[in-house]
Amino acid sequence: MSVAIAAIAVCGCGTKDNPGRTASTDTNGATTSVAGEVALPAMAARGSAWLPPGAGDGDWMMPSRDYAGTRYSPLTEITTANAGQLQLAWTFADGQSTYGHEMTPLVAGNTMYIVSPFPDKAFAIDLTKPGGPLKWSFSPNPSPIAIGKACCDAVVRGAALYDGKLIYNLLDDHTIAVDAATGKELWRTKMDNIENGGTMTMAPLVADGRVYVGNSGGEMGVKGWLAALDVNTGKELWRAYSVGPDSMARIGSDFHPFYSWMRGKDLGVTTWPANAWKHGAGAPWGWVTYDPDRHSVYYGTSNTGPWNADQRPGLNLWTSGVFSRSASDGMAQWAYVFTPHNEWDYDGVNENILVDLPVNGQTRKVMVQFNRNGFAYTIDRATGEVLVAKPFAHENWASGIDPTTAMPVLVPEKETVPVGRWVRDICPADIGAKDFQPSAFSPRTGLFYVTAQNICMDYKGREVSYIAGTPYWGAQMTRHVGPGGNYGEFIAFDAVTGRKVWGIPEAFLTYSGALVTAGDVAFYGTVDGWFRAVDARSGKVLWSRKLGSGIISAPMTYRAPDGHQYVAVAAGVGGGAMTTSSQPGFPPRGDTYYVFALGNAIPSTPAPSTKPGAP
Amino acid sequence: MTRAAVAAVAVLIAATACQRDSQQLRGAGAGDISVPGQDSMVGVTDTTGLPAEGVLSHVAIGDIAGVGNNTLDATIRSPFGGNASAIREGGEEFEKMNCAACHGYDLKGGMGPNLTDTYWRYGGSPADIYKTIFEGRPQGMPAWGRTLTPTLIWKLVAYIEAQGGAFPAALADRARQGDVGDHDTTSGSTMKGRNSAP
Repeated sequence: MSVAIAAIAVCGCGTKDNPGRTASTDTNGATTSVAGEVALPAMAARGSAWLPPGAGDGDWMMPSRDYAGTRYSPLTEITTANAGQLQLAWTFADGQSTYGHEMTPLVAGNTMYIVSPFPDKAFAIDLTKPGGPLKWSFSPNPSPIAIGKACCDAVVRGAALYDGKLIYNLLDDHTIAVDAATGKELWRTKMDNIENGGTMTMAPLVADGRVYVGNSGGEMGVKGWLAALDVNTGKELWRAYSVGPDSMARIGSDFHPFYSWMRGKDLGVTTWPANAWKHGAGAPWGWVTYDPDRHSVYYGTSNTGPWNADQRPGLNLWTSGVFSRSASDGMAQWAYVFTPHNEWDYDGVNENILVDLPVNGQTRKVMVQFNRNGFAYTIDRATGEVLVAKPFAHENWASGIDPTTAMPVLVPEKETVPVGRWVRDICPADIGAKDFQPSAFSPRTGLFYVTAQNICMDYKGREVSYIAGTPYWGAQMTRHVGPGGNYGEFIAFDAVTGRKVWGIPEAFLTYSGALVTAGDVAFYGTVDGWFRAVDARSGKVLWSRKLGSGIISAPMTYRAPDGHQYVAVAAGVGGGAMTTSSQPGFPPRGDTYYVFALGNAIPSTPAPSTKPGAP
Repeated sequence: MTRAAVAAVAVLIAATACQRDSQQLRGAGAGDISVPGQDSMVGVTDTTGLPAEGVLSHVAIGDIAGVGNNTLDATIRSPFGGNASAIREGGEEFEKMNCAACHGYDLKGGMGPNLTDTYWRYGGSPADIYKTIFEGRPQGMPAWGRTLTPTLIWKLVAYIEAQGGAFPAALADRARQGDVGDHDTTSGSTMKGRNSAP
């Protein structure tokens, strides 16, 4: 996301319409705040300043706000001292309560943008008027076949604003660009064939004129791929597979994995039984981050297909791992596989947050990933060297990560091969010690804020045949709560030492994303519908409200045209959280966005008007 | 049909699906997928005693506009209903054809709908369920009519019926009207017990 959003930037991001908004443009064309900010440690703060072009300090134009994936906002009106005064300002229901709400609302200038789960509608909300009336809505009418091909609910994880376009993926394998000013479709590109079982659920990342998108379908025998499209035309520029020969994986002479077991020719073929890579998955359905200094994109690859590992002896590269690629041509720079020969569905797709941290007395440019497998990895993002790998939640499948090879040291009794027998109490369960729900990083505290999961499983691998359009899965499982009886925990984590600093246990899964602000307030939600504000330093809960459904979206914050700071989050349980739906008290689904502000910032009740959209 | 013959048909079918996939996905390179027992291929399709496809095509998914009713068609009985060996074979097929991966090994749903409750979007009588498997449905349920024989589909129907969610053929018309409660004031028949959780 890097060109100025013509319509939005002109009318919304400037100081003319928004007196409270002050911004300056740095040499990259990105916009950073200068208004009343606490001085940030320069190195740590670098990533949070990597913004889409035209983004002001009060905007939130991509799901993670910045290219580094920090979900950190520089806004300071809401603080630890006043967060207890947060009140409901307005709500918006998108009418799609059948499926889970995993997306983050976006704000640019005077407008909020929301995309719904299937049928993937888009909405623009006018923030200048009381109650947030609709400016436009858009119905792309994707194919309903996609509903039954999505493993884990017909979700979408968000959109991106760039150059006056709202860009997102449809469940039926199309990437679409909509005019942010008018809601008219600009282009639609078919990326895959829905009848083969692949879907698209991830939020695109848009940078330097390119749209990065990947597929979903790790349970359907797909080949995972990440593609770059031209933001103006939707034309595909390159596509890199997560399996297959080096030519398909876009691995060439610039590829330098740190560890020797990932070096060699065509490992995406030779680490599999004959032809098994063709249905080996590695779908990048999570998050993409972007380092504009290195000009690299980072993204993880999904679980290995099928789950039954007995049918695919070998390391199964490059599934369940992470790639660093050149943003311009997609050629791989390095890779690392978190869970080689994955026997437990531990996808590698979680967000890779790009920060600079002092490791062993040296400032290192790292990426931090809280992996499904229960380990938090701090990895040198230039080389792929694993610097720190420690558990951030309860796990019992590996005794640690070998410091020399960076391979997991397996606990034999938790291996699921040979198949056809129940293996009891494997922790974490398939949905992981954390699923896709993104973490946040505060450059002020140096801590990561993570919604961790304490869930375990009994697992039985089963023989499976590939039949196109049906699951290529090969596993049966039941899930149960981990030690302590709390499914969820909101934790603050130090990625330098690999230690949890504090944690807030929750009875229900914590399956929302996290948000942290320069007011040192962190936000998260629970699957039973509690939305909480927390002191980012102490972990003290400052404020809680029960919303209409479980929260599996990621909260965001923005400055509205009235100059005040608002916090928005969707409540609509679904997705992987449904694995715990038999828990007593599990809420019904929902479809509502809730927007909060400090009580004294919320406008007084407007008089009724007969003029549509007017106060 | 003997059990061996059924298994042989299943093998043939799996191999066919495999070839079709090869053509569609990759354009070439068939034979890269390992299907258990792929080497023995015998094609036997015996439809003796089964309802004719033409009859099934008259079973409506929705209610009937205007005069008339479809009671006769919807009440086509399940040819293998209650047949223990057919139910067992249907259960094996349910796993082999990856039905279990979508609908759950316990049939209680997952990617696809729960098959043990009394909510049937496209009808829950044996004939309705047969048609759904044969024709596919628009929210991702594939059509199996070109892949599975009528005999196998009816055995899948028998298996699903045996798990408790299907409506008895004789009560199909009542079920279509939502009369799944314990008392029916318009007729003597009731669906007593069919709507309670298993």
